[in-house]
Amino acid sequence: MAGLNDDAQWIVMMGFVISFSFFFLAMILNQSTVVGQTTAESVLDFPKNDIRDVRSVIINSSEIGDPDYVHNDIVNISLFRKNAVVNYSCNPTGCTKPYTISIHYNNGVTAYNETYTSP
Amino acid sequence: MQTGRNSKKGNDHAVSEMIGFVIIFGIIIAGIGLVTLYGYPMLLQQQSSSNEQIMEKNMIVLQNDLKSLAYKTVPYSETSLNVGGGALTVYNTTYDTADSSKFLIFGENGNPLTCSIKNNNGNCAISSAPLTFYPGDLRYDSTSAQTGLSLENGAVVKRMLAENGSAMLAQPRWFYDGPTNTAVIYLIGFNTTTDIMAQTGVGTVKMDLGLTNYTSYNTAGDTIHIEYTPNINADYSTAWDNYFTGTLGMSPDGEGGYYFVQMPSTLIIYTYEVEIESV
Repeated sequence: MAGLNDDAQWIVMMGFVISFSFFFLAMILNQSTVVGQTTAESVLDFPKNDIRDVRSVIINSSEIGDPDYVHNDIVNISLFRKNAVVNYSCNPTGCTKPYTISIHYNNGVTAYNETYTSP
Repeated sequence: MQTGRNSKKGNDHAVSEMIGFVIIFGIIIAGIGLVTLYGYPMLLQQQSSSNEQIMEKNMIVLQNDLKSLAYKTVPYSETSLNVGGGALTVYNTTYDTADSSKFLIFGENGNPLTCSIKNNNGNCAISSAPLTFYPGDLRYDSTSAQTGLSLENGAVVKRMLAENGSAMLAQPRWFYDGPTNTAVIYLIGFNTTTDIMAQTGVGTVKMDLGLTNYTSYNTAGDTIHIEYTPNINADYSTAWDNYFTGTLGMSPDGEGGYYFVQMPSTLIIYTYEVEIESV
């Protein structure tokens, strides 16, 4: 053996190191489960515009005293078109100024509560 | 050392190389043997479990499509997916209703004048004549692994093939709203042109929104029960029972069903029919 030149044994060792690192990388890659729900979809799910729309409609309706038929329409249309449970009421007595409206919105994922004070 | 040996015999130059070769060759053969014995089966198992993981992901993607169709009233959706190591099958709402899974919803008040929930025939929905809904399901059965997956009534559920037990991977959007004392239930069923459709390999799942319906029941003073009856070939009762008790906070009624302890005064049931054009 004394006559052999073993200067290049590091090449063999590097070969081992690289192949083992590939093996572990493959194992790690296999562990990562790709999920179907992305952040972007969660952001799209957030009903910002639905809440804004229903809020502005409620405030507009309260300006004209919140008649029963408008109240029922708002609740029913929210249920049917937006899949959201909406409820609101003018306090302390009807929508006669000054009043506050407590608005409640819930679509199963996002719940929103607000107390609006009339100007 | 070699020079020392040289001086005695003179012709055993390659002995240590020979021994080295035999050792290295032995290690290589042993390595090949080990890989064939243990490595290859492990590789196959990895493959089937990765097929399963891909399918879990696919199911969640399909559930997102279903969410878009039902909750956001998107008219049509299309997803391409690769089904490996098994088959993806659609069973529609009318397929083999005697054996398929169903959801029973009923109240306790059987008085025709005052009862809250009505069943499919327009009579009072009570435990002996409940409001029955057959969701059908989009089912994946793996040929090599031990689990099955389904997209059933808006939820992704997983079961073991050989033993009892199931889990819910992604939940549907049923909820109870405290301030308005309202319970909201979504029933999503599949409709197809034929009773069963199946695919393996790459394919496209095309879905569009069919009939939708929403009914608001005044259930003040009544107790609402929900019961899940599993398909005899695909039992996800553990998953649904855990969902009822865990997420919705319902209590078992002792007869296989669950009731809302909060006694909601309003029950809203949405029914969606999703047409599956192809898988």
